[in-house]
Parts: sequence; C-alpha cells; structure tokens
Amino acid sequence: MNATAAIEVKNLLKTYKGSAIPAVNSISFTVEKGSIFGLLGPNGAGKTTTISILCGLSKASTGDVTLMGLSLKKQLNEIKQLIGVVPQEIALYPTLTAFENLRYIGNMYGLKGDNLRKKIKENLELVGLSEFAEKQIITFSGGMKRRINLVAGILHEPKILFLDEPTVGVDVQSRNLITEHLHLLNNAGCTIIYTSHLMEEAENLCTSIAIIDHGKIIATGEPKKLIQEHSKSTLEQLFLKLTGKKLRD
Amino acid sequence: MLRLYSTIQKEILILLRDRGGLIIMFIMPMAMITLMALIQDAPFRDYQEMRIPLLLVNNDNGNLGSTIDLGLNESKIFEITKLHLDQDIVKQKMKSGDYDIAIIIPEGASKMLNSKVSNFVTKKLNEAGFSDTSSITKTDLTQELNLEILFSPETKKSFKASILSTLKQATSKIETQTLLELFNKELKQEDKSGKRKSEPMKDFVNFQEINTVETPAEALKLNSVQHNVPAWTIFGMFFIVISMSGSIIKERDDGSYTRILTMPGLYITVLAGKIAAYLLICLIQCVLMLMVGIYILPQFGLPQLVIGNSIPAISIVAITAGLAATGYGVFVGSIFKTHQQASTFGAISVVILAALGGIWVPVFVMPESLKIAVEFSPLYWGLSAFHKLFLNEGTVQSILPYAFKLLLFFIFTLSFAFLYTKNNRS
Repeated sequence: MNATAAIEVKNLLKTYKGSAIPAVNSISFTVEKGSIFGLLGPNGAGKTTTISILCGLSKASTGDVTLMGLSLKKQLNEIKQLIGVVPQEIALYPTLTAFENLRYIGNMYGLKGDNLRKKIKENLELVGLSEFAEKQIITFSGGMKRRINLVAGILHEPKILFLDEPTVGVDVQSRNLITEHLHLLNNAGCTIIYTSHLMEEAENLCTSIAIIDHGKIIATGEPKKLIQEHSKSTLEQLFLKLTGKKLRD
Repeated sequence: MLRLYSTIQKEILILLRDRGGLIIMFIMPMAMITLMALIQDAPFRDYQEMRIPLLLVNNDNGNLGSTIDLGLNESKIFEITKLHLDQDIVKQKMKSGDYDIAIIIPEGASKMLNSKVSNFVTKKLNEAGFSDTSSITKTDLTQELNLEILFSPETKKSFKASILSTLKQATSKIETQTLLELFNKELKQEDKSGKRKSEPMKDFVNFQEINTVETPAEALKLNSVQHNVPAWTIFGMFFIVISMSGSIIKERDDGSYTRILTMPGLYITVLAGKIAAYLLICLIQCVLMLMVGIYILPQFGLPQLVIGNSIPAISIVAITAGLAATGYGVFVGSIFKTHQQASTFGAISVVILAALGGIWVPVFVMPESLKIAVEFSPLYWGLSAFHKLFLNEGTVQSILPYAFKLLLFFIFTLSFAFLYTKNNRS
C-alpha cells in the first residue's frame, strides 16, 4: 500500500448489465495525497463510471480500490465520511434556503448545533453568499447556485473531493471564485478529483491528469510534462491528438 | 436519529412551501368529500330511506279504496298525495314531471268488487248444492273493474313491483274478507241478536323484522356521509402518491439522490424520513377529513359523521392506510423515470383502485364479477376497516385483518421499489 496515495485503483473493470463492452476496462492509477487530479476524456469514455465507483455509487465488476488506505469494498461507510461530492447538477432543494440546504447536508454528515452554524457561515462568506443565507435557492443565479453547490460538497471538510464539471455554465467571476476556492481547499490538504471538458481550466488547476478513452487510460502524468512529451503547446491539443477529432455523442 | 429527524424536517419544509401540492393534498380532498357527500345523498336515501312520491286519486267511497290507501301508507315506502282529478289531468301532471307514479281507483270500485265476489260465491254454492242463495245480491258482471296505475318512463322496476305488490295485497284482502262474509251469511252463522259476526281477517303468519345489529351505533344506516367521508379520506390519503413519487423523481433528476448516496449511513434512513413526513401529512389529512364529516357536512343539511368510539382502532387504520399510501408512492416514484409518467400512472391507478375499492359506489351495488377484484384493492381494505368502526362499532381486534393487509401492502411495495432501484443502480 502506498502511504502517500489518496486513491489507488488497480485493474478496475466495470461492465454494465446487457453490455458486451466494458465501460471501464482494467484501469489502474494512483492519486497522490494533496494533489488536484484531473480525469479527462470525451463523452462516453468512462469518466463518470470511474467516479461513480470511487464514490461508492456503483459497484466494480472486478478490481481493487482503496481511498486513504481504506478498502472500497469493505469500508465504504468510513470512506463516505472522508469524501465530498460536487455533482454536475445543482443537487439542492430549490424551495429551501441556502442555510436550510446546508443544514440538512451538514446533519447528514453528523454535524449539528453551533459547530454546523459556524461552518455554514464561514463557507458562505468564502463563496460570497453570506447575505443570501436565508434566500431560497430558486431565486439564485446560475453562478450562485454553482457556488452553493460547491459549499454543499465541502461543508464537512472532506479529505477527498470529487468534482464533476464544477464550473459548467457559469460566469467568469463565479468560475474564478470557484477555482480560487479549490486552490484554497487543496492548500489545506484536500485531495481533489476533477472532471471537466474545459481543457484550459484543467491545465491551470490540475497537478496531475489521466486521459481516459474507450474505458482505458491512454495517458497519465503532470499536464505540462505530457504536453511536452507529445510536442504540443496546450492540453487541448494533446487531448485532441490522443482522443481524435471524431464527434462523441 | 439526526439523519431521520433532519430528513423529516426537510421534507415538511418542502411540502409547506409547495402551495400547489398543499391544495392537492388538503383542499381538494376536503372539497371532494363535501361535494360527493352532497351529490350522493339523494341516491343513498333513494336506496335506503327515501320515499317514492305517489299520486293517489281515490274516487271510491268504499272499503277497497280505503284499504289500498291504508296499505300504501303502512308500507312506508310511498309519499302519498291524495287528490280528486280526472285521468287526463293526472296524465298531464305526470308529463310535466310533478309525479312519477299515480293510482286511480274508479268510483264504485268497492261495490263492483263485492258484486263480483258475490256472483262467484253464488255460483260455487249452487254447484255445491246450496240452492237457496236468494240473500245474495246478483248484479251485472259484464262491467270490468280496472284500477289504473300510471308510471312515468323513468320509474324503476323495483318501484313498480312495490306498487303492484301493495295493490294486490290490498285487493286480495278485500276479496277474501268479502268471500268469508258471504259464506258466513249463507251458512246462517248469525248470533242470536240477529247481528252478523263481523270478525276482521287475521294474518295467520306474522312477519317479524329483526335487526341483525343491536347497539344504536350498529343500527346506523350506511348513508352518504358514512360512506363518502371514510371513502374519500382513504382516496385522499392514497392521492399522496403523486406528490411523493414526484419528490423521489425530482431528487433523482437534480442529483440530490446521488449526493445522498455518497453520504455516510444507509439510504433507508433517508427514505424512512421521507415516509414519516408523508405519513404525517396523511394523518393530518385523515383528521381534517373526518372533521369535515363531523362539523362541516351537517352545515349542508347532511347527517353528522359517526366515528364509533375506538380512537386507537381509528388510529391504527389511519396509520396503516397512510403507510400503504406512502409505500405505493415510493413504488411509483422508483419504477417511473419522469414525473409526468409517475403522476399520470399514480393518479389513474389510484382512481382504478378506488373504483375497485368501493370508493365511488359501495361494493354491494357492484356486479358479482367485480366483487372478487375488490378484495385486491388496498383502498377497499382501508374503507372496510373504517366501515367496521363507524357502522358496526368495531374494536381494534375487528380491524386487525385489514390493518395487517395494509401493512403487508406497504412492505411489498417498499421491498419491490428497493429491489428495483438496487438492480437498476448496479
């Protein structure tokens, strides 16, 4: 077992019922503690399946996964306490206020009382939503919803944070604030697993990446090194070189 | 416990802020109860206690007319209006809808009946060898004695049968009485004072009406309120399937379900919180709707709802019916992918189960073939349990079989939903 690894994936394979082709085909990778790891790939490449397995939402057909040294198969409940998930959808209750949503999520992690109220207040301040604590989510703009969606995933201070397209469809200011906040979290010791179609953002944010296609990892390493190795000037160029220009639906 | 409490709190807050949902859950069932109880009041009374309006034109001054009048009155199923009118005017009144049924007893009907019976007796006595029948008045028998009974086309068969039966009973009583009197007279069975004994006809067989129920509450009739209030209460509780399945699908669509699954603890705790919140709504619905029956419906001239005297038993029925409804909500929310599919299926299936369960019309008026299907409707179990309590002064023990069935339905729907979701997730 690698003591510096936040996540270790070995020979992970997942085949859905009724499908002959595996969605994830014997992949292996390691995410170091304190890193920002980008899992990149075109549509249908296997990113969502991989993340779903790592979060305990879906079961692997074969393979071993450990998170912070804990076995995903055997210690799922302990792992759930250590991870945070920020889904692509705004997974909040629109008619509840920001505070009510965060209180519910905090309670689900066992947080309560003054400690919870303090955490909610601090996080809302960090994402610039303090004055909107008592407003219903339904009244929020797209950027505000993304920011509160992020807070909902980090309120319990997870050791590993999974982010699925956290900045999709938001204004530049909100995107900037979210990425700044992710850096802050990372500096505080949180390992971040990030998926996105925004290559420029991934290039700037991630300390290491894995490019996945057709269920297999086709490249892994530090973004800058990978770009140099393939004689490309941007991550987007590298991505297109490795995955092709054919449309994926 | 924190997860459970927090989920209940969250669900209640969401429900309270959904005005449309609140209207569907509370206002509509209460309006439905009031409306259906009012609409079905007449048919229920029609079936059980309403009297049939009847016009009696008695032009006869004798015992036939008075016996028919008395017989109709004693039957207690007619509301009799007595008038002296021509047949044409009676027909006009029936055409204009004033009356559905009319009986015209012609003038001299009693006299004519007596004569016809006399002639019959004379003939029979002569045949038997009694030659001296001079004391019996002989009359012209060519004239027909017709009692005219006019029915409007809408008159029910059962009403016609009731009238004909009453008339036949009255006329045969007169005929028998007259026959006996004439035989007595002919056989010279007179007392010494010369006065003929006129002993009234006695019924040799008595019909004794025995109520199968004994206590006052048990003797309560199934009227519109006693049927509609529990029926629509159960229906309203089951209609929660639309809100509940919608909530489950919405959570699945907006990623909240995924987020919950990534949190520590079992999802069943979150589901239990949701069920508890909706069960609470069902129980509030139940209390409000029973209160409509007790306090609101009497304001509209309807009878007050009688709920028996076993509050624990009512609570058991309400809780198990509420659980069955919420279990069904989870089931529908789990197997359908969109809110539209779930709400359409949920609403139609509840209406079908309601129709089968005797919510729309009582089971006893259903065709025999349907009465078998009735046994499979959870709404029927709930309604039967309430009827047991409200009409028969049932106890906790008497409603346990129904409560058990409702609980099994809850377990079955929840298990099916759980297995279906688990199978689809993997």
